[in-house]
Amino acid sequence: MINLKYFSRETIDSLRKNVILAIAAIAVVAVSLGILGMVVMGWDMFSNMIKNTERKVGEVDVFLKDGVTEADRFALEGYIRGIAEVDPQKVTYKSKDQALEEFKTRFADNPELWQYVKENPLPASFTVMAKDPKDIGVVVSKIQNGNPVPAGIDEIKAASSAIERLENVFSKFRTIGSVVVVGLIFVAILLVSVTIQVAIFARRREVGIMKLVGATNWFIRWPFILEGVLEGIIGSIIAVFMVGLFKVYILDRLSTALPFLRMGSSSGLLYILFIAIVAGGIIIGSLGSVFALRRYLEV
Amino acid sequence: MIRMRRVTKVYKGKIYALEDITVDIERGEFVFLVGPSGSGKTTFIKLLIKEEEPTSGQIYIADNNISQLSKWKIPYLRRKMGCVFQDFKLLPHKTVFQNVAFALEVTNKPERLIDQQVPEVLKLVGLGHKLDAFPDELSGGEQQRVSIARAFINRPPMLLCDEPTGNVDPSLTDGIMKLLEHISASGTTIVMATHDRELVNAYRKRVIAMENGRIIRDQDRGVYGSD
Repeated sequence: MINLKYFSRETIDSLRKNVILAIAAIAVVAVSLGILGMVVMGWDMFSNMIKNTERKVGEVDVFLKDGVTEADRFALEGYIRGIAEVDPQKVTYKSKDQALEEFKTRFADNPELWQYVKENPLPASFTVMAKDPKDIGVVVSKIQNGNPVPAGIDEIKAASSAIERLENVFSKFRTIGSVVVVGLIFVAILLVSVTIQVAIFARRREVGIMKLVGATNWFIRWPFILEGVLEGIIGSIIAVFMVGLFKVYILDRLSTALPFLRMGSSSGLLYILFIAIVAGGIIIGSLGSVFALRRYLEV
Repeated sequence: MIRMRRVTKVYKGKIYALEDITVDIERGEFVFLVGPSGSGKTTFIKLLIKEEEPTSGQIYIADNNISQLSKWKIPYLRRKMGCVFQDFKLLPHKTVFQNVAFALEVTNKPERLIDQQVPEVLKLVGLGHKLDAFPDELSGGEQQRVSIARAFINRPPMLLCDEPTGNVDPSLTDGIMKLLEHISASGTTIVMATHDRELVNAYRKRVIAMENGRIIRDQDRGVYGSD
């Protein structure tokens, strides 16, 4: 039988006794997990933005003139597939009708953009993926300067280098964020461990008597482990609030202010993240306790 | 009850705390372990509660070789022996009741049992009226009674006392001894380390005299001896 009343009383008692250290540990747990959550949310939003932009890195759109003949279209498709730098599996055709449907779904929230359109203004197109995004210029010039010049091409558009640059910036941001988070988590574990050390020291008389009267090792350890875990949980709940506020007050406002960037978050991510943060808090807390117990509690 | 066979304990590779001790203590015996400080009395007790391991030799308690006891079984061994120390080892922020209850709490006894047994044992040691007092409100003798109550509450077959009267006013040591004799009369084996010459000479129990880690005399109804 586990003596719940005893454990909870001892744990809370001990937390209250070194409240300042406990607050410090909780704060660092909260900040580390909070930043982790924000980096994940921000990254998710950014990658959705990239995904939603017209062209991905390494992608070329070849727009066709209206009224191009089927024969010209098949010839063009064969020609594009034959280019050495093009991935032949990733050449897809999109008809005028498909393009319009896609446009309507994408702008379902802004029906005024397409509601009053009578004739389909969107061109048919091929979407072409380069095997290596670096070769995108070669692909574009080979399509333009074929011999003979393929018929029916209206315009060729490639992913802009701006997006590529943006992606670089964000991946640096992600790397730095990860390093900071790893460092902070390390500090959080250390601080939890210090509070448990202090708790062990403060309760050394009790521990001595417990050993003497035959308390089992796990019975002695549990309140200390619970104390660390409780600090982790409290810190992670604060982190959950931080991430929630970050989402509502920053990300959501940003995407409302800049609708054309289409920065929506992946659905369900927030809840998975919340669960992961609390789990992270529990892991940080128990690791901190276990380190302290292994070093400072001889049972 | 207790059998030691050629037990030697060496600290840090050179200090012989106990050297080649062979002794038998029967169930229900009351034994004085006497000798000057540093003669090995405390090490003797520490080996019995497995706070220290012998460097060589075998120790049997109730026919179980405790040298071979696995680590996780040590707490269960200690539940079968009460320990009383010179410094009482009471928790200052807990009341008399809570101090004794602590021993039952941390061995997972139900609350109902605690509420029933703690006042009972405190009455036995003569402190039935001081359940809610804190240790610093009690005399040394009374504090030692609380400590004895805590050691005895599980009715262990064996009570180990290390200088139990060392911090008790001489006028009150008699009360402590009477209490221990009373517990002994119920069949509990008692090993009491002491260097209180008058007390040993007055009570005439079996005396195991130690010096420099060796047993120099083992005598029934003995006296402290000359040193």
